[in-house]
Amino acid sequence: MFGKTKFSNRETFVLIVLSVAAFVPMLWLALQSAARNWRFPLLFPAEFSGRAWEYLLDSSSGILPALFNSLIIALTVTFISIALAIPAARAVALHDFRGKNFLFFLMLMPILSPSVATAIGGHAFFLRYGLTDSWFGVMLIHLIPTLPYCLLTLASSFARFEVDLETQARTLGASTWQVWRYITLPSLAPAIAVSAVFAFLISWSQYLTTLLIGGGKIMTLPLVLISFQRGTDEAVTAALTLVFLVPAVLFLLISARFWKATK
Amino acid sequence: MNKFVLFAVLFLALLPACQKKGADAAQFTVQDFQNAKWKDVETKAQGTTVSFAMWGGDEARNRFMNTEAAVRLKDKYGITLNILPLGDTAEAVNKLLNEKQANKTGGGSIDMIWINGENFRTAKQANLLWASFAERLPNIRYYEADANKRDFGTLIDGLEAPWQKAQFVLAYDSARFYSPPRNIPALGDWIRNNPGRFTYIAPPDFTGSAFLRHILFHFGGGAKNFQEFDEQLYAEASAKTFAFLNEIKPFLWRKGETYPQSPKELDKLFANAEVDFAYNYGANFASERIKRGEYPPTVRTFVFDAGTISNYNYLTIPFNAANPAGALVVINYLMSPEYQIAQSRALGSVYPHKLDALTAEEKQLVSGLERGAATLSAEELAAHAVPEADSEYLERLEKDWREKVLLP
Repeated sequence: MFGKTKFSNRETFVLIVLSVAAFVPMLWLALQSAARNWRFPLLFPAEFSGRAWEYLLDSSSGILPALFNSLIIALTVTFISIALAIPAARAVALHDFRGKNFLFFLMLMPILSPSVATAIGGHAFFLRYGLTDSWFGVMLIHLIPTLPYCLLTLASSFARFEVDLETQARTLGASTWQVWRYITLPSLAPAIAVSAVFAFLISWSQYLTTLLIGGGKIMTLPLVLISFQRGTDEAVTAALTLVFLVPAVLFLLISARFWKATK
Repeated sequence: MNKFVLFAVLFLALLPACQKKGADAAQFTVQDFQNAKWKDVETKAQGTTVSFAMWGGDEARNRFMNTEAAVRLKDKYGITLNILPLGDTAEAVNKLLNEKQANKTGGGSIDMIWINGENFRTAKQANLLWASFAERLPNIRYYEADANKRDFGTLIDGLEAPWQKAQFVLAYDSARFYSPPRNIPALGDWIRNNPGRFTYIAPPDFTGSAFLRHILFHFGGGAKNFQEFDEQLYAEASAKTFAFLNEIKPFLWRKGETYPQSPKELDKLFANAEVDFAYNYGANFASERIKRGEYPPTVRTFVFDAGTISNYNYLTIPFNAANPAGALVVINYLMSPEYQIAQSRALGSVYPHKLDALTAEEKQLVSGLERGAATLSAEELAAHAVPEADSEYLERLEKDWREKVLLP
């Protein structure tokens, strides 16, 4: 992934420390999710029980459908964010027009203001237009925080983009699709991958917006997770947290393959 | 640029077209309800779906509602029960507040809510509730009359129907000591003699502030005096309460510099034997934790001699419920002995009905209900039950605690 460069000793050390720091909480969660009677001063649980995992897999708990809903929403939102952010970022980075800075500022507003305000204000607005309690509404409100991140990431990539390459390809007879596929996309790929991670993770972890706009009808994993987090059941909360982490980590790993520019 | 403006205008112009049509023709208004016989309500509810917003942090309860309760409702009334789990009931209330402001008066996504206390008061004051319905439910007759009067001091006016009973109990580990202190002065002595072994949950946590009210009751001559807000009584009793709390502060866990923020944190401290007492609403909470393997099996519960707070929690219908008829039928069913016996059997919850309203057969079933090893008997609980205080006391106590105990 990082080519042939070798790590220095110091880099290796930092890498190990970071991996351990990331891994230990996961291990703890895994133990907690299956533990019974795990109390101080026991280092490891005295007994194990599959209760929490059984509950998660039980059809009555509704957790698998919630996981599925979360995936559909996060993937769709990621796709739409990038599809919208690419032309917008291009316009902002490569063209000059009146009010550009102001427009750019407007586009970034959602991440500059507190997210609770966006959620509650958005709810009032969505209600007026009948967009609540629907899939469409939930995805739309997720786009509010995801779009600015995609836009920022892509705009910085477009700023370094050689438009001349596109012109050259076109002069050589490439179609619009070919230009996009062989010139634009490869040079943007790392930025697209990074913004996809942002969009996916942000949408994946939305709680308040999904709750308000989805009205509880659109059940996603964070809704289930938070309702358990506020309860006292440690095992189920730990198991759910792991379930919540896995797709996020997988998505991160997949996208990391594209972080290095293809030449 | 012109194209952009054009698209933006088009998009905004098209938005209202997405507006949902008002609720379907099969609506059931408050007037319909007032004119209908109960049988008509049941007929109307047949085959509908009811969305029930309830706090969803309890795996056993979620499982029970989604399986046994849902199946019974389907069999009896053809109703499909759809649970909307909430992290906090206040979220549903906030959603309704927004919907009220936006004038969304029908077709709401919530048909009924599990509610009580401050959330009920907010909802009632903001007119977020459907109508006065509780007195007309056939199964209201199983409940004590006072269950239907005040909820944390707020007049109920039939806007919510009693569902379950919860009583505040304290837990200790019988393997660590034999007899817990059963009144506030004795508890004070115990804390001074066992430095670092006691703490309480910081208000405004719901359970944390309930513990403080027991001290307030002690210094104000008992819970009976706190049913309606009295400024002078509050001033006197709260001054003594805060003096007591400040006096025990140096003997608390971590010298009172920090407090657990939720029952979950107190549970953890107690389970790890860092402190010697935990407490919660729900007489069976310790038995439940033992069953889940979180508390040692030697844990037992107790109540104060002067009594502990017992309250009801309720079911209500939002003003914009899409299916109020269905909600009425579900609520009435959840109040029935059939349901309550099944729930107590599955969750170990305390049976909420007055026993003389039951048939001989039902009485037998209720007396045969098993309770967990750590749960007190229904008689002992009932003999030590005191009502909730007016919620004004609650709010004042929470606010003043910050200034007078936490910060100085």
